[in-house]
Amino acid sequence: MLQILKDNWLLFLIGQYPHGPVGGLAMTVFLAVLGLSLSFPVAIGLALARLSPYRWLRAPATAVVYVVRGLPLIMFIFWTYFALPLLIGHAVGGVETLLFALVVYEASYLSEIIRAGIEGLPKGQTEAAKALGLGYIPTTFNVILPQVLHNMLPSLVSQFVSTIKETSLGYVISANEVTFAASQVNNQLMTQPFEVYGLLALTYFTLCFTLTSAARWLERRLTAERGGLGVQLA
Amino acid sequence: MIRFETVEKWYGQHQVLAGVTGEVKRGEVVTLIGSSGSGKSTLIRTVTRLENVQGGKVLFEGVDVAGRSVDINRLRQRIGFVFQAFNLFPHLTAAGNITLGLERLRKMRKAAARERAMTELHRVGLADKADMLPSRLSGGQRQRVAIARALAMDPDVMLFDEPTSALDPEMVGEVLRVMKTLAQNGMTMVVVTHEIGFAREVADTVWFLDKGQIVESGPPAGVLDNAGDGRLRSFLSRTC
Repeated sequence: MLQILKDNWLLFLIGQYPHGPVGGLAMTVFLAVLGLSLSFPVAIGLALARLSPYRWLRAPATAVVYVVRGLPLIMFIFWTYFALPLLIGHAVGGVETLLFALVVYEASYLSEIIRAGIEGLPKGQTEAAKALGLGYIPTTFNVILPQVLHNMLPSLVSQFVSTIKETSLGYVISANEVTFAASQVNNQLMTQPFEVYGLLALTYFTLCFTLTSAARWLERRLTAERGGLGVQLA
Repeated sequence: MIRFETVEKWYGQHQVLAGVTGEVKRGEVVTLIGSSGSGKSTLIRTVTRLENVQGGKVLFEGVDVAGRSVDINRLRQRIGFVFQAFNLFPHLTAAGNITLGLERLRKMRKAAARERAMTELHRVGLADKADMLPSRLSGGQRQRVAIARALAMDPDVMLFDEPTSALDPEMVGEVLRVMKTLAQNGMTMVVVTHEIGFAREVADTVWFLDKGQIVESGPPAGVLDNAGDGRLRSFLSRTC
């Protein structure tokens, strides 16, 4: 196992770079970070639309969220893989396809977290903003969302962790992330699948476990300081 | 300044306001008393349209607050509202709670807004707490910040919805003192309260509400001391 690591650690870490495209763990983290960051504004938009008093906003947003959440990610990736080139008229690489699928998929899940956060805030917050004369935009962006996102931080981190794991599905459309790198190594060696995929598992586990631990720590800290945040004496 | 004209409101089958008619004049302090469920909180919430009415009209300076041409956010800036549960924004400091409206609505620059916030905090005796989050303040301090937040918008009238009901007894006094000073300086105020003492001392007019109607109204001495009506008498005997 150590020998495999010694021979292939660079491939695991950054793919074929600089002789080819960046890949490996670097690509996995890149995809997860970019996927989540891009999905974030989309998720806020979806959540706000879902809570909108206007049906023409609420209905399509609800439909998107329900459809996407009702599909396995792998199916969604296939869809994107075949539909996206048709829609925009030229071929799309594996990484871009995966990124697009991830953004839509994560946005649907995140939007539900955000929506629950908004609905969970005491009604008095919106009322106080209204009573001051603040309109929808400042109420949402200066009063409601800062509190919701603060309370959401731990769930955001766990969403990030599942995004990391979900990028592994990019393997099926040859997005060269770390699972793809591992399978390349495996194809080369042919005889040591347990060792190769053991290394892959260890890589994912180390990354995800670190992040979940961070999330737990964050959650404890937030609960400690939340004395007056979110919850107010009624 | 504020006129209620046969205001009616239902929650489903339940009628909370059953034809309320009354007027609050400029510079006047009106206190609303009555048992819970009598509609007094709902009534003041209709002024700033936190509640819509189903019958009658609420007029602010002669204009129907439910009118189509009314810019509700502009109207709300002229009407200060203080809640029972304070409703401070917990992610902003005491000063931040006040500057938000000044910066977003009055388009004041940061420094000017901060200065104004300090003036208001000074007025309620909390200048030294400007940079604290609400979670670090006591209930009485929070409510005083909430009052300062409303005052910073230079309202024409201040509405108070049971401002001391969520407070520990020893903190009621500091909030009432702020309100008393405000009244002495000529602010038009409508106060929903269970503090009969405050009503007696500060109010120009007391409205006693029962089952969604003003049953008695007049100067506190007349209303409170010669409680002729059976319902007011029994209410007072329960609260005093």
